[in-house]
Amino acid sequence: MEGKEEDVRLGANRYSERQPIGTAAQGAGDDKDYKEPPPAPLFEPGELKSWSFYRAGIAEFVATFLFLYITILTVMGVSKSSSKCATVGIQGIAWSFGGMIFALVYCTAGISGGHINPAVTFGLFLARKLSLTRAIFYIVMQCLGAICGAGVVKGFQQGLYMGNGGGANVVASGYTKGDGLGAEIVGTFILVYTVFSATDAKRNARDSHVPILAPLPIGFAVFLVHLATIPITGTGINPARSLGAAIIYNKDHAWNDHWIFWVGPFVGAALAAIYHQVIIRAIPFKSRS
Amino acid sequence: MAAGSGSGSNPKDYQDPPPAPLVDTGELGKWSLYRAAIAEFTATLLLVCISVSTVIGEKRQSGEGGAGVLGIAWAFGGLIFVLVYCTAGISGGHMNPAVTFAMVLARRVSLPRAALYTMAQCVGAVCGAGLARAMHGGGQYARHGGGANELAAGYSAGAGVVAEMVGTFVLVYTVFSATDPKRKARDSHVPVLAPLPIGLAVLVVHLATIPITGTGINPARSLGPALVLGLGTTKAWSHLWIFWVGPFAGAAAAMIYHHYILRGAAAKAFASSSYRSPHF
Repeated sequence: MEGKEEDVRLGANRYSERQPIGTAAQGAGDDKDYKEPPPAPLFEPGELKSWSFYRAGIAEFVATFLFLYITILTVMGVSKSSSKCATVGIQGIAWSFGGMIFALVYCTAGISGGHINPAVTFGLFLARKLSLTRAIFYIVMQCLGAICGAGVVKGFQQGLYMGNGGGANVVASGYTKGDGLGAEIVGTFILVYTVFSATDAKRNARDSHVPILAPLPIGFAVFLVHLATIPITGTGINPARSLGAAIIYNKDHAWNDHWIFWVGPFVGAALAAIYHQVIIRAIPFKSRS
Repeated sequence: MAAGSGSGSNPKDYQDPPPAPLVDTGELGKWSLYRAAIAEFTATLLLVCISVSTVIGEKRQSGEGGAGVLGIAWAFGGLIFVLVYCTAGISGGHMNPAVTFAMVLARRVSLPRAALYTMAQCVGAVCGAGLARAMHGGGQYARHGGGANELAAGYSAGAGVVAEMVGTFVLVYTVFSATDPKRKARDSHVPVLAPLPIGLAVLVVHLATIPITGTGINPARSLGPALVLGLGTTKAWSHLWIFWVGPFAGAAAAMIYHHYILRGAAAKAFASSSYRSPHF
């Protein structure tokens, strides 16, 4: 474990750069101070019989429900008022999304992993951190939770909800669909990249701040992306959030743009997964023993 | 996240404390119980005084250089963060009868302690609101609603109760997650960050429901300003039941969710409860 302190201090990789990519990790395999978990199988029959599998699904449902309820209610509170000064404003909306993700990831990380977002689930699935069955189960539960959360907000004041856009994501006028798609891709990339960094076995072992702070940078990433892209798309970066609001709002102009909020986040998540696994960690180049 | 590679068959890496007795006569003779009650009183006083003062200050300046509604939400969320940080080790840092109620249901505190806490919190909230009234003057205080919780026009009482209920659910669910021995043992971020997500949960609930109810999610916080505004006649007084029924219902729901779904009884029914999710 020699040089670990140095490595932590520099925040750098301890292998010298003269060694060719990929071979370094193999040579030093016996004194690794972290253990890479094996890739999750595509289908694992055992987990279907375990209570923790269903508990994780319920946790994702409840978390996404609360997420949509709080955030859409905040959006409604801002958009119903004629003067933005009398409301929490755009920054308040961004805090609502970011703060809620922080609190919910903190609460559910140990139960289900705390995804609350099909794009995150998809990214982690690409990195083989969860099985296909689990990924699909999570995504279904997230979408159901999102629909229920938006439904409760609509139930509070139906006219207000339908009259103010229902918190649905649409590309703002003045921006093309390409702009919206690009914004969603980059936004989701930031989020999923942060998630990968926070959950990386190697980083967890080397830098003590990584496991301890984990939910905080994830929440902040969501907050910052919202600050940046609320004027463009209202910020999806979460297909469940976009779907829940779109289904409950159910108007054509929301549905026309809806594909952007699935394609964008999934592409962004895939890019982040590739970036992290291939470039940062070079996992495909390492032999697995 | 931190642990998670172990197989489920090894001895547990955490220990659940035994349930607190309903009535623990031994603790009544201890100074630490009364010290905890005093800490709850002081913390609730500070919470209500500063936050109500922020509300009145914002309304007095309405739009011109005031803290804004976002500032009000931060006042509540930030104060909860700071005060939980300060008093968690003394009394548990409840400052909220709904949280205390959930802790009784989960058998984490005894009944006499909970009754004492609730009383201390309510008295502290009344004193805090009184202090805020003294700072701003009675006339200004009454003109701007006294920072009391009342239902906004256009919302039914049912919507108010549901808003309070779900808001309190978010808060109490976060509190349970932060204080769960199993979570603490497994994920290193849980004990370290604890007061921060609790404060941010309060912040986001305020962002969402200030336009509906002004956001109670804390019966003591709602009681204090309502009493200081005047008994019986005001709108705040007639709506007060919403801010007791909603939070207690939400706290009970969060306790059931955490205790039965996430932690306990239902899991035991499944033989293979040892499967761990891939940690994030």
